[in-house]
Amino acid sequence: MSEAKARPTRRFDSVKVGDTLPPLSVPLSRTLIVATAIASRDYQDVHHDPTLAKERGSPDIFMNILTTNGFVGRFVTDWTGPEATLRKVDIRLGAPNYPGDEMTIEGSVTARDESNRTVEVSLRGRNRLGDHVTGKVVVALPA
Amino acid sequence: MSTNEGKTAALEGEALMKVLESYAGTQDGAPGSCPYPVNDAMIHHWCDAIGDRNPAYLDRGFAESSSHGGIIAPPTMLQAWTMRGLRPPTPEEEAWAKEAGDRKSVLQVLDAAGFTSVVATNCEQEYFRELHPGDQLTHVVEIESVSPEKKTGLGVGHFVTQLYKFMDAEGAVVGTMRFRILKFRPPRAAD
Repeated sequence: MSEAKARPTRRFDSVKVGDTLPPLSVPLSRTLIVATAIASRDYQDVHHDPTLAKERGSPDIFMNILTTNGFVGRFVTDWTGPEATLRKVDIRLGAPNYPGDEMTIEGSVTARDESNRTVEVSLRGRNRLGDHVTGKVVVALPA
Repeated sequence: MSTNEGKTAALEGEALMKVLESYAGTQDGAPGSCPYPVNDAMIHHWCDAIGDRNPAYLDRGFAESSSHGGIIAPPTMLQAWTMRGLRPPTPEEEAWAKEAGDRKSVLQVLDAAGFTSVVATNCEQEYFRELHPGDQLTHVVEIESVSPEKKTGLGVGHFVTQLYKFMDAEGAVVGTMRFRILKFRPPRAAD
């Protein structure tokens, strides 16, 4: 049972180096930080318990790394459409994502490889404190 | 593994580096397992939390008629499948811990040498095939490298790169993750 007609997937030949992706803004509610940690089976206290997070020297709970990967993947596949295939997510981690902040991911196409119809997206996710994440994603697109 | 044993509390400089280098290429911890296969319920929990509405993950009708050939798990869930979570240790994990005894992990060696703080700096995942409901995963972690002592904005420390290999039920590697952390000495308040 299809819910709705799926969006078409971007074709490899239609993508150029320099194309920019639609930004993804993520309001960082406390519920989001906790729900994503638990959905990724990460029960480390710094991702759900503010008291213990403070004892460990952090001002509040913060987003876990599996979730950062999840948002980076979503940022790219929201743009490609559903028949793309993620091949690589390579990120560098920076300022933590605390509740009450907002992260905005922006990026553009920085390389394309005809031999395997993959494109490389370079991206940056910023919050009020600076760069939460920078990195590159490689995704294969249909011909 | 005798080079990983013994007194490490006083290790520093070249002697410490020699011990740290002995960990390169060795397995780090027990193999990771998951009591259940890749499944729709966990995929939905993840997608709902992240706000990802990709029909390749959620819509069976779409997915079966698509190039994916059926529902796939979000590739970035790779690590989530074998996270231990709150479950008790398996007999294999208990046996591993017993066998390891007092042998320190590389992170414990760094703790003992005063590099007690930790921050993750890089995570690189590669996906060799798509995962479908029913795939049963395990992982092993290897210490890929330990850097010489570095001065960083956070303090003096060593970068440790762990290489995770995720395998399916046939033992084929379906994806890898390079996870780099900095183990550093917290600067003293007076500094």
